[in-house]
Amino acid sequence: MRSAVPLKLVPHRGRLRRADHALVHLVSATTAPLGGDDLALTVRVGPGAHLVLRGVAATVALPGHRPGGSRALVRVEVAEGGSLQYLPEPTVVTARARHEAVFEAELAGDARLRAREVLVLGRVGERPGHLVSTLSVRRGGPLLRQSVSVGAPEVDSSPACLAGRRVLGAEVLCWGHDPAEPVSRPWWSLVPLARGGSLATALADDAVTVGHALDQARQHHPGSGEF
Amino acid sequence: MDAAPMDATALLLADSRFPGGGHAHSGGLEEAAARGLVTDEPSLASFLLGRLRTAGALAAAFAAAATGGGDLGALDAEFDARTPSPAQRAASRAQGGGVARAARRAWPSARLDALLAAQPRPHHPVIVGLLVRDPRDAARVVAYLAVTGPASAAVRLLGLDPLGVNAVLARLAGEVDAVAADAARHARTAPEDLPAPGSPALDLLAEAHDRHHREEVRLFAS
Repeated sequence: MRSAVPLKLVPHRGRLRRADHALVHLVSATTAPLGGDDLALTVRVGPGAHLVLRGVAATVALPGHRPGGSRALVRVEVAEGGSLQYLPEPTVVTARARHEAVFEAELAGDARLRAREVLVLGRVGERPGHLVSTLSVRRGGPLLRQSVSVGAPEVDSSPACLAGRRVLGAEVLCWGHDPAEPVSRPWWSLVPLARGGSLATALADDAVTVGHALDQARQHHPGSGEF
Repeated sequence: MDAAPMDATALLLADSRFPGGGHAHSGGLEEAAARGLVTDEPSLASFLLGRLRTAGALAAAFAAAATGGGDLGALDAEFDARTPSPAQRAASRAQGGGVARAARRAWPSARLDALLAAQPRPHHPVIVGLLVRDPRDAARVVAYLAVTGPASAAVRLLGLDPLGVNAVLARLAGEVDAVAADAARHARTAPEDLPAPGSPALDLLAEAHDRHHREEVRLFAS
């Protein structure tokens, strides 16, 4: 395990540590990402290993002194029999920030992945800057690829896109059996993907509501008892 | 902007009288109207612009890529991955299947047969791209349909003035052309590298529509 400023990886050795998986906290050691930052994190989960990687604080994307936006690339590989739960705290896109986030996962045949993303359009009362966030999950072939762009007011407000909601949540679940049928409520859904895996989506005006909606959606997943 | 006229195949596919079954789909508009998210011309214009820049741009890129003679099976898989909502996938395949039925008679070809042998219900933009050949025209057809279908559904569901709705569409024409021009750059892009613009609210609307469609009578299939 190797950290590099500003991404610090802190293994959890407390008494709450569960024997069946390793828990690592992802700590941002400085203010990041700022404009001009280019952050990369690679996670390899070996055969039969189980890792939970958790954030401890929101990621706040800010404009920097240097021109150009900021980028954060997270690449994960999960080997046979392994599992990864990637649970960062929300990403807040502040005014004038230009941030690009990419999460790419490559899964072995029976590897398991749970990956959550919550995007917040600006701090309270603030118009968001620009963010493009891409989720990509492959198992041999593609399971999910989705890029969400925020920061164009005419698109953010469109009933087809974010419908004026400030917070978007998504949670990919490739965890054993998939839900047989989609489950939906007006502002969240849990849907089986075409070629394996499932996706929970939620829209709301605050991150707490989105978190609850994703929790509710996940209750409908056949593997929900294992999280 | 390229001023060359579209070929007649593209015009036929974009025509609302084309017998491909597209008239049965509202593109999420019926659910948006039922929830009061679209009520008038301004809210319709907002819905259509968002739909065009996301689902429309996605379809346009895939239609352009399907003109290039590339791997149509890979395009099918990548479009699936970019369409998380099962209801949206079903709507795309229903409309692609409708085009296929017409195409077997109208535009028979070995490449069409090969596509339909592998996938009898192809995604709509993929079969449109196969039939139209010119990347920008193919992209323009699906980008145009991404807004005209919901617009005509709005006239029927909300009783909006057809002339007013037509003016909303006319104001979007430049956006449709811009989306098509951008998509045309992807004629030779590898399927896995194609853009993947998501539209979370459309996905939620499509799933809710599907649930209501099973519980009660809805005018449109999606």
